[in-house]
Amino acid sequence: MNRRTFLQLSGMTAAGAALAGCKSANEKLIPYLIPPDEGVTPGMANYYASSCRSCPAGCGILVRMSEGRAKKIEGNPEHPVNRGKLCGRGQAALQELYHPDRVPQPLKRSGPRGSGEFTKITWEEGLDLFAGKLKSLKQEKAADRLALLTPELRGTLAKLTAGFMRSFGSPHHIRYELLGTDWLRAANRQSFGQTSLPYYDVAESRYLLSFGADFVESHLSPVHYGHAFGRMRQGRDTVRGHFTYVGGRLSLTAASADRWLPARPGSEGALALGMARLILAESLFDKTALAANGLSAENLLQQLKAYDLPRVSEETGLAQKSIAEVAREFATTHPSLAMAGETIAFQNNGQESARAVLFLNVLMGNLNRPGGVYPDGGATDGPTTSFGDLLSFVKKMSGEEIRVALIHGDPVHTIPSTTGFQEALTKVPFIISFSSLMDDTAMQADLILPDHAALESWGDVIPLAGTRDGAIGLMQPVVTPVFDTRQFPEVLMTAAHELGGEMKAAFPYESYLDMLKAGMRKHVGLASGKDFEATWVDLLRQGGLFKTNSNQAKSYRWAAGASVPEPAKPRFYGNEKEFPLHLSIYPSTAFYDGRGAPLPWLQQLPDPMTTVVWDSWVEINPKTAADLGINFGDLVEVTSPQGSLRLPVVIYPGIRPDMVAIPMGQGHRDMGRYARGRGANPLQLLALTTEGTKPQPAWNATRVRIKRISDKGELVTAGHPQGSYRSDLIEI
Amino acid sequence: MEKLTSPYKWGMVVDLDRCTGCGACVVACQAENNVAICEKREIAEGRNMHWLRIERFWVGEYPDVRVRFLPVLCQHCHDAPCEPVCPVYASYHNPDGLNGQVYNRCVGTRYCGNNCPYAVRVFNFYDHEHSWPPPLNNQLSPDITVRSRGVMEKCSFCIQRIRRAKEEAKAEQRLIKDGEVQPACAQTCPAEALVFGNTADPASRVSRLSRSPRRFRLLEHLGTHPSIYYLKGGGREHV
Amino acid sequence: MSELSSQQQKTPPAVVKSASQLNDEMLSSMRPPTLRWYLLAFVLGAVVAWGMYAFIYQVMTGMNVTGKNRPVMWGFYITGFVFWVGLSHSGTMVSAILRLTQANWRRPILRAAEAMTVFTITVAALFPFIHLGRNWVVTYFLPLPNQRGLWPNFRSPLLWDITAITAYLIGSSLFLYLGMIPDLSVVRDRASGWRRKLYAVLAMGWRGTAREWVVYHKASTLMAALIIPVAVSVHSIVAWDFAVTVVPGWHSTIFPPYFVIGAILSGVAAVITLMIVVRKVFNLEDYLTPMHFDNMGKLLLVISLLWAYAYFVEVNITWYAHEPIEWEVFSFMADRYAPLLLLMLFGNAVLPITVLCFKKLRRSIGAMLAVSLLINVCMFIERFLIIVPSLSRKNMPFIWHNYAPSWVEISVNIAAVAGFALLYTFFAKYFPIMAVTDVRELEVRQARVPLGRAELPSIAGKE
Repeated sequence: MNRRTFLQLSGMTAAGAALAGCKSANEKLIPYLIPPDEGVTPGMANYYASSCRSCPAGCGILVRMSEGRAKKIEGNPEHPVNRGKLCGRGQAALQELYHPDRVPQPLKRSGPRGSGEFTKITWEEGLDLFAGKLKSLKQEKAADRLALLTPELRGTLAKLTAGFMRSFGSPHHIRYELLGTDWLRAANRQSFGQTSLPYYDVAESRYLLSFGADFVESHLSPVHYGHAFGRMRQGRDTVRGHFTYVGGRLSLTAASADRWLPARPGSEGALALGMARLILAESLFDKTALAANGLSAENLLQQLKAYDLPRVSEETGLAQKSIAEVAREFATTHPSLAMAGETIAFQNNGQESARAVLFLNVLMGNLNRPGGVYPDGGATDGPTTSFGDLLSFVKKMSGEEIRVALIHGDPVHTIPSTTGFQEALTKVPFIISFSSLMDDTAMQADLILPDHAALESWGDVIPLAGTRDGAIGLMQPVVTPVFDTRQFPEVLMTAAHELGGEMKAAFPYESYLDMLKAGMRKHVGLASGKDFEATWVDLLRQGGLFKTNSNQAKSYRWAAGASVPEPAKPRFYGNEKEFPLHLSIYPSTAFYDGRGAPLPWLQQLPDPMTTVVWDSWVEINPKTAADLGINFGDLVEVTSPQGSLRLPVVIYPGIRPDMVAIPMGQGHRDMGRYARGRGANPLQLLALTTEGTKPQPAWNATRVRIKRISDKGELVTAGHPQGSYRSDLIEI
Repeated sequence: MEKLTSPYKWGMVVDLDRCTGCGACVVACQAENNVAICEKREIAEGRNMHWLRIERFWVGEYPDVRVRFLPVLCQHCHDAPCEPVCPVYASYHNPDGLNGQVYNRCVGTRYCGNNCPYAVRVFNFYDHEHSWPPPLNNQLSPDITVRSRGVMEKCSFCIQRIRRAKEEAKAEQRLIKDGEVQPACAQTCPAEALVFGNTADPASRVSRLSRSPRRFRLLEHLGTHPSIYYLKGGGREHV
Repeated sequence: MSELSSQQQKTPPAVVKSASQLNDEMLSSMRPPTLRWYLLAFVLGAVVAWGMYAFIYQVMTGMNVTGKNRPVMWGFYITGFVFWVGLSHSGTMVSAILRLTQANWRRPILRAAEAMTVFTITVAALFPFIHLGRNWVVTYFLPLPNQRGLWPNFRSPLLWDITAITAYLIGSSLFLYLGMIPDLSVVRDRASGWRRKLYAVLAMGWRGTAREWVVYHKASTLMAALIIPVAVSVHSIVAWDFAVTVVPGWHSTIFPPYFVIGAILSGVAAVITLMIVVRKVFNLEDYLTPMHFDNMGKLLLVISLLWAYAYFVEVNITWYAHEPIEWEVFSFMADRYAPLLLLMLFGNAVLPITVLCFKKLRRSIGAMLAVSLLINVCMFIERFLIIVPSLSRKNMPFIWHNYAPSWVEISVNIAAVAGFALLYTFFAKYFPIMAVTDVRELEVRQARVPLGRAELPSIAGKE
């Protein structure tokens, strides 16, 4: 769809189409004789701008509407994060809207918890029950017995939930995501004194060195970085950017690399420091930059003397020659860029390793320049729940200190059971879920008040990252609600109004839409009294506010007094003898953390690296498999000190012989017919690694062993197992 | 070889150096073209209905192992092997250089599917009517048929989008501009690996890119003269 | 071929049969049906009914009930199609060619072979209909005038198939019918009731005058000469279904002659099998003697040698050129289908060539039955091995896939055999399975005519 058509969007926003579902008092009923869908001509499509919610990146989308139905999602060309492009998960969000197994209306548990037996109730009943629970807590002066669990939130929803809990009087707002980026913020805080996420100018870089940062499928902003990668390679006339990837597993991102360094898990930080030492020793560093950051080469060299090539080579399992080559390439190709990703972060030394990687950028003067790294203008650091806080919350639940839990999201699926979360949750007497599908969390709930799908919702979507200047995307409903659902923030606000007093006063809005508009009005900087409607319509038409005055710092500088990174020795859970293989779990391209599993387009999409469809699998190095007598498609048992799982095997040439990998995202008990009972959730295998007294989400630090069970893995791949090695036959 | 009676000769360039294998194009194509949802058993039987596939090859052995991604879609060959063999002209060549498939003419001999060396033609072995349980069927695009069983289908370069663009251009009495019409796959590709346009216009982006020294066509030795140029990707060994 | 008379005199001990006795014996298949016959017809009918059920199930459900997939879009049905078209060369070879070469030993075999051609090509013609994804619009194949000005595509080998098979069906039916006219008059004279009326119509008032015989001979010879190129073209055209494609392993110039040779091989073998069955069932030992099998065996030997050569050429060129994807196809076939491949080579070449070199074995009914049955099984395998492995390992290795026939495909193929047998059973019951007049004609040609006190050879022997 081109600019011209886009600019020809009708004056009506999707608000018109959502007429019937709207509760705003000032909307008039259109007379009978005039078709209710003004501006809708049968056979002609309209496009409405909105924002994608399928991952934290928050890309802008355009939804093609035909006769009141959503037909196709495209990227919004105006949105600075994705510029008209969109990933598969974003495309599949249509199926979330029209999913046949959506929770159609509020449900009340009728059987034992976890049985999946529910009876349908009306919203009146549901809201009464909800408000009733809140009221009784208030009456018993037990406000702090209420807990709210959500993913990391931003924008108006973050404000609303924070306000809700604060005005209610409970401190227990858990904002936790398995794939959260607080480790990166923490690393930046330590190194640069600020908690912004990095913005990598990949497009202008000439040498990209990624330490486990899978930016094509999951890191920070996949569509933005996918686009930037394309430009890095072939977007400039005579320059082709070079890409080296460091990590034990050849991920989808690594598959596009020119060079792959399969470093031992947990050794990546040491590798980065080894490279730093070589760069310093051979005087390849940027002298001006070092001085500007208040660092001295001699001091650094002294502090890094332990990271000589032989030692680093031994720790990483890489040849000295390779390490030296890459270090020199990185140092002599300008501009270069080092990225640190989730794969290295989820080790016990993750944060320090990330700091070590980002330190390379300091050395080479990559900070604050084209082709280098800037502070990202995306979401500012809101209050998030640290891992430690999560664990203490779990303790509280076990100690029966929480009486009512409101859960938005699927933590029962995405929080590893080693934390004790799922067990502790059973001690909470009343659980309310807002899921729109029967996910693992909803299965444990006593009351389900189903949320709207993203395409039925109002909201602001603040991109996690992927933009130097801030942006606020807007989400608007493009259809009348398909089922009898209500938007989560709307439900909270209704309850708050119902409870009255302080809570009501905290939300002087008629609806969530009003609160959203008020917030946007502030962002736009419109004085009160001035009419906002025209601006609001413009914002909706565009898809959001695409240049905000982000209050992030605009540049990086090495913090005074920041220590030189010193990653600890990697530690793993499970002794090497009993559990000889490292387990790496990663968010699958299709399902991310599991939210994509209910959508049939994503189940049908062959995994880019393994081409598996409709399943989970475990990836094993060919030689390791041969040694264990395991063939492609066999069923094996993967056992960690925490538990075991049965999965089919994919022979995977791109992984270290001492590593196996399992994608996350499947293994839901229900979540609709397409996800039900399919595959397995590897998070149950993970163990809690501790270092000293501080607990860590070191999710890639578990060791496992593999045992062949049978040849009945029932694995289905789109690609022929032997044919996949025969690219010679088509001469590519 | 067809006479150039149309000012358009649609073609595509697939830059393998940009393609990251992410698969967004596959989902976009499925969404745009009412491609059936196929469950595990159907795919196990070799009957997946995707019009576009990303072939993934492993080259070499650990640790010197590489991956090559190859998006394969209908090549819209100028000497298409699928066209002469269809007994009822369901597979035909249109003046714009596209290979068209007429669903309601197809008798289902599957000869075209056999003779396509790229194996991009997929056959409706199943009745896919129940592929979209309500309300999922609300998503189906009204601009394109939902195919019945017994019928062959394949990528059409999103001919419905080309038609729409032609209508708009005609209304304004002009030709379609470069970049105005994008098939779903090219539109969504984050890395901009897929570029579509009019190869009859030497100034179009697709024409310029198809003059790249990295260009090649799939199975060139068969003489099918595909409309799609691939640009070689990869690191040092491909320079 | 005066050998014949001495043989005829050698076998049953000097009992000269009367004309009516000869006729009785040769037409013994047309006696009123026995219980055994009804049982056979019933069983065959049941198998055909099962096949029809399988087919209808496929039409109602979809092609997913077969084993086909991408890239193997043709499987057992096309295998069956090519196999049955191949079998249809039986009549042409035996009847037409032997007629033209004036080989007298053809006479007892003629009718069986010609009938076989008609029925096998009928069965073959069903398969293109059966394998369609949308059988109900099969009329799109036909050049019927329509408002949209749509015409079928004559560049497509499938249209050539339709043309050729139709021509062959019509031609072979005419050939059969023409040759049957004198026999029908014999049968007419011996029949009563509705049958007499039927045969009377079909016999077209044949009286057996000299003029009629002259015309008959000319017509038969002409038909024989004409049917041969049709037969060769039919199977060449079916071969072109494969050879004109770009599929590796199909795109080979030797396919037309290779297929024709294979067809003749399976056809002749099938005639031999049929002869043995007919001979046993209808007690025609006097007419289908070891000498006949001896000659058929010699014919089979030559064809088998030709087939072996053609196969050798095929494999040799594949190996010599070593086109990567073609070699891949061959390696795959020789690996996954090794047992079938070896059986095929044994049954089509090794066994026939060794066994048929020995006169004793050629004259042994048991040996001939074994060899001919095995050849036909192996010819089916050969068609399968041509069609499926090439598709399984087509040009793009990522989408390679294997194929296995489903119960539907297997049922339909078995029902085809049963259907053919059923048609044949009905034919043998209601029509003369032995070419009575042809056999008697020889007798006339080689008789010694008493002239006064001397016996002179009949001048009828001189053409």
